[in-house]
This record gives sequence, C-alpha cells and structure tokens, in this order.
Amino acid sequence: MIEVVNLYKKYGVNEALRGISFRVQPGEIYGLLGPNGAGKSTTIGILCGLVRPDAGQASLNGIDIARQPVEARRVLGVVPQDVALYSEFSARDNLAFFGRLYGLRGAALTGAIDRVLARVNLADRAKEPVEGFSGGMLRRLNIAAGVLHNPSVVLMDEPTVGLDPQTRASILDLVRAIAAGGAAIVYTTHYLDEAERLCDRLGIIDHGVILAEGTLQELREAAGAREIIALRGIFRADAVTLEIEKHTEWELIKATDSELLLTVQHAEQQLAALLALAATLGTVREVAIRQPSLENLFIKLTGRELRE
Amino acid sequence: MRATFIVAAHQLRRVVRNPGLILLLLAIPLTLAVMEYGAFGRSAAEGKLPPVKVLFLDEDDTVVSGFLPQVFSGGPAKDFFELAQVPDKQEAARLFTRNQAAALIVVPRGFQDALLANRPAELVFYRNPIQSIGPDIVASMLQMTTLIGNGLYAKALEPIRQVKALLDAGRDPTSAEVAAISQGFFEAGRRLQGLDALTNLRIGVQRPGDTQARTGFGSDPAQFFAYVFPGLVVFALMFIAQALAIRLLRDRLKGLQRRIVMTPVSPLAVVLGGVTYLVVGLLVLLVFLGVIGGLVFRIPLRDPLSLLAIGLGFALFAAGLHLLSISLSKSDRSAGFVGSVVVLVLSLLGGTFVPAEQYPPFLQRVAAIVPNGAAQQGFIDVLVHKMPLVGLGPGLGVVWAWGIVTMALAVFVERRRLRA
Repeated sequence: MIEVVNLYKKYGVNEALRGISFRVQPGEIYGLLGPNGAGKSTTIGILCGLVRPDAGQASLNGIDIARQPVEARRVLGVVPQDVALYSEFSARDNLAFFGRLYGLRGAALTGAIDRVLARVNLADRAKEPVEGFSGGMLRRLNIAAGVLHNPSVVLMDEPTVGLDPQTRASILDLVRAIAAGGAAIVYTTHYLDEAERLCDRLGIIDHGVILAEGTLQELREAAGAREIIALRGIFRADAVTLEIEKHTEWELIKATDSELLLTVQHAEQQLAALLALAATLGTVREVAIRQPSLENLFIKLTGRELRE
Repeated sequence: MRATFIVAAHQLRRVVRNPGLILLLLAIPLTLAVMEYGAFGRSAAEGKLPPVKVLFLDEDDTVVSGFLPQVFSGGPAKDFFELAQVPDKQEAARLFTRNQAAALIVVPRGFQDALLANRPAELVFYRNPIQSIGPDIVASMLQMTTLIGNGLYAKALEPIRQVKALLDAGRDPTSAEVAAISQGFFEAGRRLQGLDALTNLRIGVQRPGDTQARTGFGSDPAQFFAYVFPGLVVFALMFIAQALAIRLLRDRLKGLQRRIVMTPVSPLAVVLGGVTYLVVGLLVLLVFLGVIGGLVFRIPLRDPLSLLAIGLGFALFAAGLHLLSISLSKSDRSAGFVGSVVVLVLSLLGGTFVPAEQYPPFLQRVAAIVPNGAAQQGFIDVLVHKMPLVGLGPGLGVVWAWGIVTMALAVFVERRRLRA
C-alpha cells in the first residue's frame, strides 16, 4: 500500500509540491496525471526515497520512506520513463544485475529471471544483447527489471512513451497482470485514453496540488454534462474575456490571442451566439466541440492540455 | 558492502567486454617509451647527450686551417660534437634545410696569411636558423677557442714573426733558425701551462637521490626504460582513469545510475562501488603495464610492495580526480575537456615529458609535490635507485595525501549529488 500525506517540497522559491495526499491500495492502479512541471516527478522522487520532502509523510507498506529509505525500496519496484538497461549485456545479464541489487541470488535469482522473462514474452531472446532489441522489447524488459523481485508497490513513469498501439496494448495487459498479483501501482502517463482504460482511480495534479481525484466515473460526474467548445483564430484575449464573463451560461477556461476554450451546456444551441460574439472580437478560423471526457476535465481543471 | 562489490564487479565486467578504448590508452606509454628510446635512448644510456653536428668549410686549405677542426674533434669536445667537412656553402645550406647540422664554420681564404702577418684573422660562423640550442653550444665552444687561441697567439708572436720572415724569404731554414723558432713556441707553451688542466675535463651527471655522481641513466636500455617508463605509465593511468570515469557519467546520463539508487542500496554503497571499480581497474592495468615493462623493456621489477604502495596511492588520486570531474559535469564532453586539461597540466608540472631535474628550482619543488610527479619519482627511486619502502617517505606521503584528500572530496560530492 502507498500512503502519501500532505507532502510539501520547495526548490528555492519554486514550490514543487503544496500539500499532496493520496492513497493506493494493494491491487489498485492509480493514475497520476499532470502537465510537465506539475509535481509528478517530485512525487515519484519522494516515493523512491531520492528526494526528501520538506513536510508531510510518505510510506510504502507502512514503512516511512524518509526515515527508512533502503527498507522502503525493498518492497518497491520502479519502471523509469527512459529505458535504463545495459545495451552490451543480454536480457538475462541485465536482469541478473538488478536482481542481485534487490538481494536475490542463486536459484531464487534464476527462477525470478525465468518467470519475469516469460511474463514479458522475452524468454526466447534472453541471451541476446539488448542493443538489438526493438523499442517494444526494450520497454517490456525495462518493466521486467522493475518487477523482477515481485514488489508489492510499483511506480511506472510513462512506460508506453513512443510505442505503437499494439505494443502499448500488450504493456497495459502486463500492468493489469502485475496489479492482479496484488501490487499497488502508481502510473503516470500523457495518454489520457490509456489512463481511462487502465487506471482504477486517477489523481489530476498541477502546480503541486491534486486538483481532482477519484474513479473515472466520479471524475466524469465532476466534469458534468458540459461540453467544451474550442475556437481557434485571431482574438484580443482581454476583450474576449470581458465579454464572455458577462454570459453566465458560458464558462471560460482559457483565452489567448489564438485560442478560446469554454465549457457550455448544449453546445449546438449556444454555438451561433458564441460565434456571433467572437466575430465581433476577432476572426474565427476553426471551431470544435468536444464531448465530456477525462481530457475535458483535465483542461477544465488545469487550463492546459496534458501535452503542453 | 555486498552492493558495493556487485556494482564494482558489474562495471569491471563491462570493461572486459568492451576494452577498446582502454587498450588504446594502454598503448600510449608503450609507444612513447619506444619513441623516446629511439630519439635519446642509445646516447643517454651511454651517459652522453646526443652530439651536436658541426659543418666545417676550409677555404684557406693551409697548415693552420687544417688544425682548426681538432677543436671540435679532439679532447673532451669530441663526445659532444660531430664534425663534418663540406665542400661548399651550398652543401651546408642543404644540410641546414634538412635539419642535419647545427652550425657551419668557414675558414676564409687568407686566414693563415693574416695570422702570420699579425693582421686580424676571422672565422665565419653560420647558425642553422631551424635549431636553437645546438648553434648556441657551438658558438660558446668557438668563443672559448678564440679566447684561448688569442692568448696563445699573443705569447707566440716572436716565433710567428720568424716563420713569416722565412716564408717571405722563400728559402729553407737553417738548423739555428729551426732551433730558435722551436724554442719560441716552447716558451709560449710553457707560459700557457695552466691550460693543461683542460685535458683532464670529465663530464658527470647527477641524479636526485644519488649519493655519488654517476654517468647517465645507466649502461643499458633497461635502465633507460626504468627511468622513462614510470612517468609515461603515470600519464597513461590518468587518462585511463578519465575513460573509466566517463563510462560512469554516461550511465548517469542514460538513467542507469538513477535506476541503481532506486534499488534497496544506499547512495554511499553505489558511490563506493564506482570507487572500487575505478581503483581496482587502475591497479590491474598498472600491474599489466608493469609486467609489459618487465617483459618488453626488461625493466627490473624489484620491490613489488613499494611499487604497489605508490600505485595504490596514485590510483586513489586518479580515480578521485575524475570521479570529482564527472560529479561536477553535465555532459561527457565537458568532463572530457576538463579532465584532459587537468591531466596535461599535471603532466607538464610533474615532469612526464621533460625530466623534472631540468626544471628551474621552483618548478622542481612543484614537481615534487604534485601527485603524478611524486608517484613518478617514487617509481624511479624504487626501480632505478633501489630505494626501500621506508626510504620513499616524503614522496609516498605526498602521493597518499593527494589520493586520500581527492577521493574523500569526490565521494562527498558524488554522494551529495545522488541524495539531492
């Protein structure tokens, strides 16, 4: 189990975390979503015992990470975003090295390597140098190195970046299987559809704060039935903001000189009036209406798309 | 402790699997040693400096001009100069262009006549503009010879006048005239008797640590290499340490080090794993170079304990230096640049390329307190001067002090960086 209570962390004047709290139960996949600089990496760093929080507490299976970092890391498996493997070594040699660092040796080590290689479908390539592996194989081996010691807590930092849909799907199956084995998983990703499909609960983080948390259903309800209208063109952001704020049925999320984002109810009915107003304040070149989704909620909460 | 060994063994295995660059760096001291022996070895081994080549053009072609070359080819000068007669100035210019001579001395037509007539007689001296030290040595020798020659000439004016009179008269001398001229030169010689001491000149070369003057590095190539090879080994070890350390930096940049510190291993154990890898790697390569030195260059590998004591202290320094360099660097290029500059400056100060005893006194003191200079001198003291471990005292202390301080600083900085 992962328990994070009221974490604070400052780097100079920059407040990276401002009171983060969440809990992940065994067998649960918790999606941590946020744009770059939101505080995800700092949270992961604290959970790995590499970053010391200024205040608050984080524990893995009841072990305080700040006080007993080495003990806490015994129950922790980490799958980093970048493939961190020794390219000149074989898959088996890579796993043997990391397994030894987790205290495995002899028959236990050999058995663990065989099991995890079978699990990631690399048993037949075990003796080949990994420098010849494809991107998908490297990602699978990267996961294998993180879960080799059968950890009860797993942190996965964007493990599917840059992969084709088929390989992504196979990795998501692998993550589900690891959770089904009883591990509590924190999963960060930039793919919101992936988070929707995979995660049992989600936390949306920005500027060091969790803005919303819950199951996908709970978050959808929080987003309401409101749709998002996106207008792209040339605008005067300050004038647009003043005008739109006069209309209580429209909620402005974002206004720049090139883009307006609003949430509305019954978008088709509101569109004509909105376009008429926008035309008096600038030039509209593109209109899009988006249905309620996790992405909508994300934009509504953070004012940004996840990839920004 | 176990994690430290796992990390160190893993890194060493990687070097064994990919030894390319390390093997290339190992070739540096071997190649340089052979090149130095080719350039200086034979004459140095015989206790001599390489001779300065002097060209001689005799345009006068007289009895007096025929004696002049002996200034450079006789007596104590013969070991320092190599004399070659040239038929004309064009040939001398050709040899100058090929850098095959340091200077040309021309005896102009009428030289003997001028001497006998008590008129100023000149030798013409040409320097090879490509060289600097060689022509200076020849010029000094020539000035000294002129000084002595003028002294002798002043004392022998009377017999010279008699020879001139005889030549002018164009007749054979009588027995009485021969006796008078001989007596005149004999008296002149007696007045210059003090110069006899010149024939007793001997050149000796004193090396640091010697209690008595010795000639050169020794009488065989093995002793030459025992003197030259340690400096080159120390130089190569510093570059090898850099190459080994940059592998760790690349691991860090690829996220491998971060992955290791996410396992249940303390940051200190990870740092010490890197230290062990560097130090053990350097010691193994030092032993390898030592064995090569023994087998190929016939260096007598005496007193292994003393050699190991110096080697371990220096390995600590070299490993600490480059561990510190990669800790403070953000890319392998910057680490490579900074490390190379430091190694080259230390090598110049420590006497890797030019023996430290050739330095001015201040720089000699600097060479003795820089770690590579102290290690180099320590190896030479053991291999050449047969000094025991206890006799290495201050130099060994310098090497270990640098090793401990540099390594402690590197461990502190690297551990702090890992925990940040």
